[in-house]
Amino acid sequence: MAIPITIADDSALSRKTIRRVLPADWDVTVHEAKNGVEALEAVNNGLAEVLFLDLQMPQMNGYEVLHELHDKHKKTIVIVISADIQPEAQALVNSLGAFRFLKKPISAEELSDTLQEVGLL
Amino acid sequence: MITLSEEEQDALQEIMNISMGQAADALARLIQTKVALSVPAIEALSPEAFQGMLEGLKSSWSARQSFVGSIRGEVITSIQKEGCEALADIMDFDLPLDKAATEELVLEVTNILSGACLQGFTSQLELTTQLNMPAFYYPENAIKNIDWSSVLVIEVDFKIEHMKFDARVLIGLSEGSIEQALIPIRALLEE
Repeated sequence: MAIPITIADDSALSRKTIRRVLPADWDVTVHEAKNGVEALEAVNNGLAEVLFLDLQMPQMNGYEVLHELHDKHKKTIVIVISADIQPEAQALVNSLGAFRFLKKPISAEELSDTLQEVGLL
Repeated sequence: MITLSEEEQDALQEIMNISMGQAADALARLIQTKVALSVPAIEALSPEAFQGMLEGLKSSWSARQSFVGSIRGEVITSIQKEGCEALADIMDFDLPLDKAATEELVLEVTNILSGACLQGFTSQLELTTQLNMPAFYYPENAIKNIDWSSVLVIEVDFKIEHMKFDARVLIGLSEGSIEQALIPIRALLEE
């Protein structure tokens, strides 16, 4: 059965780019969220077994989403895809329970490797 | 004057976001301090308004670099004078900064920030440009003979709160170059 995944990013180009690099043979249903609030809604509605999460978003940013998921003990697999790639951002994201931190611009190869590493492919 | 669609505006902003992320990372690693990033601002200006913007940089030290290639324009890095000493201290400059040391500091930071911003921007769009050496820039010596009929300015802001460090990078593209940059952007949006 197709896995529900959500791409949370305020940039339309960025959401499109992530869609484009998803492995062709990965059986998923893709949902989109434009901010952290929508991302959490997607999780709560069972639309995000895997969440691709941007950090800088309006209304609620990616760090706040990670906090919330952490506090509520959600099982969502979060893969952060961020333009802010400073060591401190990476460390914070890891401490908040994200599975992986990927740098923008993301490549198909890198995403595929990551999905394999976390056992999704 | 050039007008961008909402999608083009979003795409330019996202591409610049990624570029400034790379620039901030380079600076953060050099000085071992987190750098706060702004959302890139994009604005189409008349050459006169661009000139006015440059003349408004008087509370800052600035350096400019021109670039040529498949797109051409100017990158200006402008650092608030107030935060320069704290940065210089971390970078092992002798304090207080004299004129030569100030210029050296500003040119070094310019190389890091302008270089990464422009490089990130052009590599994502698969454009080739060559960045010339930065030159210290005094706003009173305005950039003359800008014969561009319209300028697109992309502005990003880097801040380090506890040091009062505040640097802006402005990328000015001439009208023909805006069109050149929009070709790969439109292709990305269509795929």
